[in-house]
Order: sequence, then C-alpha cells, then structure tokens
Amino acid sequence: MSMNRRTFLGTTAATTALMGTPMILKAQASEYVLGASLPLTGPFATAGQLVAPAFALATKLFNDEGGIAGTPIRFVTEDSGYVPQNTLANYQRALASEGANMIGYFADSTGAMKLIAPELKGENARIMGSTSFASELADPATHPYQYMSGPSYQSQFDILLQNIKNEGGSKVAFIFSNTEFGRDPIEHGKATAERLGLEVVLEESTKPQGADIPTHVTKLAQSGADHCILHGYVTGVWPQLIGGARQFGLPTKFMGTFWGMEKLIADRVTKEAGPFLSGYEGVMPYRYFWDREDAPRYQQYAELSKVMFAGTPLENYMSTWAIQTMCGLEIAMKSFRDTAEAGKELTADNVAETLSGISDWDTGGFFGGNVSMVNNAIGTGRVYAYDAESGLFNPKSDWLSV
Amino acid sequence: MGQFVQFAINGVMAGAIYALIAVGIVSVYKATKVVNFAHGYLIMFGAYFYFTFSVIIPNQPWAPEWLLSWQPDWLVAQKADLPMFSPMGAVLDWVSNLPRIVLGLTGALIANAIVGRIIERVLMRPLMGQSVFAMIMVTVGLISIMSGTASLIWTADAANVPFLSPSAPVKFEAFGTTIFLLGTDLVNMVLALLMFAAIVAFVKFTKGGIAIRATAEDQSTAYSMGISVPKVFSRAWVLASTTGAIAGAILATRNGISPSLGLFGFSVLAIVLMGGLDSYVGVLIAAMTVGVLEAMTQWKLGGSWAEIVPYVAVLIVLIWRPHGLMGQKEVERI
Repeated sequence: MSMNRRTFLGTTAATTALMGTPMILKAQASEYVLGASLPLTGPFATAGQLVAPAFALATKLFNDEGGIAGTPIRFVTEDSGYVPQNTLANYQRALASEGANMIGYFADSTGAMKLIAPELKGENARIMGSTSFASELADPATHPYQYMSGPSYQSQFDILLQNIKNEGGSKVAFIFSNTEFGRDPIEHGKATAERLGLEVVLEESTKPQGADIPTHVTKLAQSGADHCILHGYVTGVWPQLIGGARQFGLPTKFMGTFWGMEKLIADRVTKEAGPFLSGYEGVMPYRYFWDREDAPRYQQYAELSKVMFAGTPLENYMSTWAIQTMCGLEIAMKSFRDTAEAGKELTADNVAETLSGISDWDTGGFFGGNVSMVNNAIGTGRVYAYDAESGLFNPKSDWLSV
Repeated sequence: MGQFVQFAINGVMAGAIYALIAVGIVSVYKATKVVNFAHGYLIMFGAYFYFTFSVIIPNQPWAPEWLLSWQPDWLVAQKADLPMFSPMGAVLDWVSNLPRIVLGLTGALIANAIVGRIIERVLMRPLMGQSVFAMIMVTVGLISIMSGTASLIWTADAANVPFLSPSAPVKFEAFGTTIFLLGTDLVNMVLALLMFAAIVAFVKFTKGGIAIRATAEDQSTAYSMGISVPKVFSRAWVLASTTGAIAGAILATRNGISPSLGLFGFSVLAIVLMGGLDSYVGVLIAAMTVGVLEAMTQWKLGGSWAEIVPYVAVLIVLIWRPHGLMGQKEVERI
C-alpha cells in the first residue's frame, strides 16, 4: 500500500485523535470523587457519626465555591467499623467503581493508612488524608501521598511535656491504650522527657475499652507521678481513669492528646459523674468551634450548619473530630485547586507535590496563624484546659509550633 | 511485699466478678449441656439495661426529679461544705443516686430475665432433642444478633453509670506500702461472692437445683421421674440472665459501659474451661487464679502481657487436665 501526503495526514490526525481521547475524556470529568471510610459502627462510632455530617457540609461548601476549577466534587463515604481491612476494601472498591474520577481518599485510622500505603502506586495512587496523627505518616519519603491535618502524636507529646516542664513538673506517667494509636508516641515521649529532665515513672498500657480501672489507678498512685499523659482513647477509659484517681485522692494532673479533648464527651462525663474533669488539659491543634471571632472559615461553617443541620445538636456546634476532618478536606481541596490552576493534571504525584509545598497558608482560622506543611504535617497546637462549670476548654498557652 | 498484697487484692476483686460471670455459663451447661458462647453478650445486655434504667430513664424530662438525684434538705445540708471526693461526700452522693440505682438493678434483673427467657423459649427449646452442637451454634449466632441489636438500641457510645455502693477510697498500710482500694470494688467483690454462694446453695440444696442436676445427669431419666425438663432449661437460662444482669451492672460501674463488655464472656469461657464446665468450685478457683495472675502480670510485665499470660496458664491446665481442674470426666459407653 502506497502512502501519499493526504493519506499520511489523515492517518496522523486519526491516530492523534485516538491517542488524545482518554486525556480529553479525563479532562472533561463531569465530577471529581473523594472517597472516605468512617467508623459509623464499632468502638469509635460516636466519633464517626459526628464526623459524617461534615462531608455533606463540605460537598455544599466546596461546590458552591466552584468545586475544583469548575468541576463539582462528590464524596463517597462508607462504614469501616474501625477495622483497617474494611477501610482497605472500601478504598479498593471505590477505586474500581470510580476509576480516574476518584482523586482522593479519607481513611479513618492509623492502621488503615498503613495498610493502604503500599497500594498507593502508579495508577492506583491517590492523595490520602485521615483521622490519624501517627508519627510514621509524617514522612514524605515513605508516605508521599499521605498527609495529616495537624501535628503528629509525637509532636503533641512534645508540646505536653514542654508544658509540664514549664509548670515545674518532675515525674510523669504515660497511660496509653494497647493499640497502634496508643503506642505511637511512647518511645519518642520517653526520649523527649529525658531530654527535658523529666522522669517517666510509669508506662502503663490498657485495653482501649473496658480497661481494669482500679489496677491502672493503683499503679498510678504508687508511681508518685505529678503529671499523667493519657493517650490512645476516644470516648472511654480516660474519664474513668481520672475519676478513679480522684476517688483515690490523687493530686496527679491529667493531660490528653487530640482524641481525648472533645467537649461533648467531657460534658457528658461531668453531667453523669460530677465536675472532676475540671483542670484536665490537653493539646488541640485547632480552635474550638465557639472561638470563631477570628476564624472566617468557621463562620461559614456555622452559617451552613444552621441551615443544613437545623433542629439537631450540630446546628450550633461542630465537634473537634469534625473540625479535624474539615481541615483535612480543606488541605486536599487547596492542593487540588492549586494543581488545577497551575494547569497540571490531578495525578497523585502532581497533587502531592503541591500539597507538600503549601506554605504560609491562611486557613481561615483553624490555627493561630498562617501554617505550612512540613513533612506532610502541620506542626502547631495549643494547650487547653477544661472548665466543668462553663463546659468549655479554655486556652492555657499560646499557639506552639514544633 | 506490700505491692504484692495490693495486686493480689486487685486480682481477687477481679476474680470474684469473673466467678459471677462464670456461674451463668456453668448453670446453663449443667442443665442443658450447652456451652453458651453468647453469655458475655447477655452480660452486656444486663449492663445496658442497668444504664437504661439508671441513667437514660431518670434523665428523661417526664421522669420525677428525685429519681435522678434525691436531694432531701438534710442531705443538701450535709453535703454543703464537703470537698469533692471526700469519703462522706462519696457516701452522700451514693444516697442521692440510690433511687436510680435501685430502679437500674430492678429493671436490669427483670429485663435481662425476659431476654434470657425469650432466648430459651424461641431459640433453644425448639432444638431440644436435637444435637447439642446445633444449640451451641445457635449461641454463636446469638453473638452477632445481640451485638448488632445493642449497637442499634444504645449505639457504641461509652458512658458512665452510678456506682452500686459508695465509692469512698480505702487506704491502709501493709508491709510499709500504702494499699489503695475503692470501697465500691470491695462491695462489688462481696456482692459477687455472695451471689455465687447463693447460686451454688440453690443448685445443691433446693428442689429446683436438684432438678437441674438430675437433668444434667440424664434428660430421659429426669423426664421419666416427673421432672419438667423444659422448665429446667428455662430456669437455667433465667438464672444465667439474672446473674448476668448483676455482673453486667458491676462491670459497667468498674470499667464504664461500652460494647466491649460482651468480650468479657470469651475471657470467662476460658476460665470456665479451666475450672471444669460443670464444677462451681473449680470455676471459682479458676476465676480467682486468673484474676490474680492478670493483676500480677499487669504489675510486673504491663498491660500487653496481662491479656496473654493468664490464658497461657489456662492452656497449660487444659493440657494437663482436659476436663478442667474439677470438671467431671466424660465416660462414653459404646
């Protein structure tokens, strides 16, 4: 067969069109999908159910703002029961059904993030946020597509230990759940304590639920700790440990990390068992929802919540857990939007590059000031103390960076 | 030595609760030859019923105020100048909570007895005469049903319930070490042991108990001697449910309320196997042994080991005596 100029041009045009079609189709996605797994059942269902409405709010808010470069977004959320294998299965299913339209995923535990990390390769790589502050994830070299929306648990321990040192404390106890989540910052915490000249007099691991409170409190009493950091719990164990210690008459000062700092839980315990949580302190990466005078983004959330969640407790209050999720989604959206604005395709590599380069970002009030992503984490937080009378966590320190 | 005493007492307190839980498993086994794998979830239901009647109902707007917190003038006057967590304050707080504690326990006993009766009547009795294995499998299926039902009704929220007795601290010196105990744990231990003794006495010395033992020996002979075997089945399940309700309430005051309470049943199942499925005394010894071993392991090796070491001991005992410490050896005639 001979090829003349006309045939050559025709064939070339057809081949180019054929090769370009997938790209055009990709560029013309009618919507982008973000998948998510939440613990709607299981031990952390309380948290999952409070976080779930945030996705409805985020869909409305982000789409009203034009989605990603004019393309709307849609969330696909599924229950994991707080089982990492379920989250992995949810992720794989979402990937199979949504394909290239799915540009990000939100996981619900440290275990799930670690389990999915090896899956994030080549075509299957997606940008991934989560509820976890596990220190191991704050490493772009090993987890290039995963990020966290605040300081790692190790950094949270650093903030607390520094605070203990500043208060003149000398003996500290670590009580933590016997889970990956609970064990995460313990070794690092011991090293930091040593560096600060604090003596770690007790390392006590407990069941994450249904712990043997009298035995743990006994060990705490006999350790002589002046401060105790509780870590790795959400709704249970930590209040019972503090209650047990107070019944024993222990003067130990208790502190917690992000997941043990929710007002709804502290209020519920106060209502049922008395005001013994007063003075309990902990690290919170974000402003609480009531502190929104200097937080324009929170004000937007509040306006939307009034309409979307009218008649429910969510109408006036967004839990810290939902705030964390919103912060994670804001980080992802900023990365998607900035990548799209730069004229780049929303591949995991491009988005990860944009995300790790976020610098001096005004989040609209989540944090005390502008923040930057360092090692795919935002190393800032503040110490708050609970006041049982007002039912509020009040700031005890300035915004601290680690 | 002082530390040893401390953790030995902690272990005995935990062991007493294990024994109370175990008594339900043994009672059902003695009467029906069925190992009830769902017993832990029956206990969880008992705990949630206690929570319902002592926390949820008294907090309803239609409930009288005295039910939530009884505050007669003399009580208010007594409490006025007391610091929080003072021993007298703990006693007075308990008195304030007494109406809802009584309602909680009564409600839990009745509601759990009804649940036990329903399980026996709807799921177990139709299988009478069938293989015991089928009945055991039903109890395995019950785990999912009960755990799912509890999540639907009460959600997975962790919550607190009022103590069954004043939670005043008890401190004393032993071998130069201050021993810390919670009054409520001591009362729980006494309550659990008393209930255990009462059930053993019931089975040993009452007509109903003798019927349970006779049925355990041989159902056909028991039938022919005029014993209503279905009634015995029913009585055993109600006994397990009501003891489960008390055990659930105690566990809830000790560890808080959460769906994980159901898992206690599995730990206790190992204790029952260690003691002997049909021996109350063996089970009491095994419960105390595991309780003390757990506390000692927690003390010396930490929480990660506390969940392993006692059960390794259970395995060793089972290898040595497959029918448990004091269980009856099965003799099969061919």
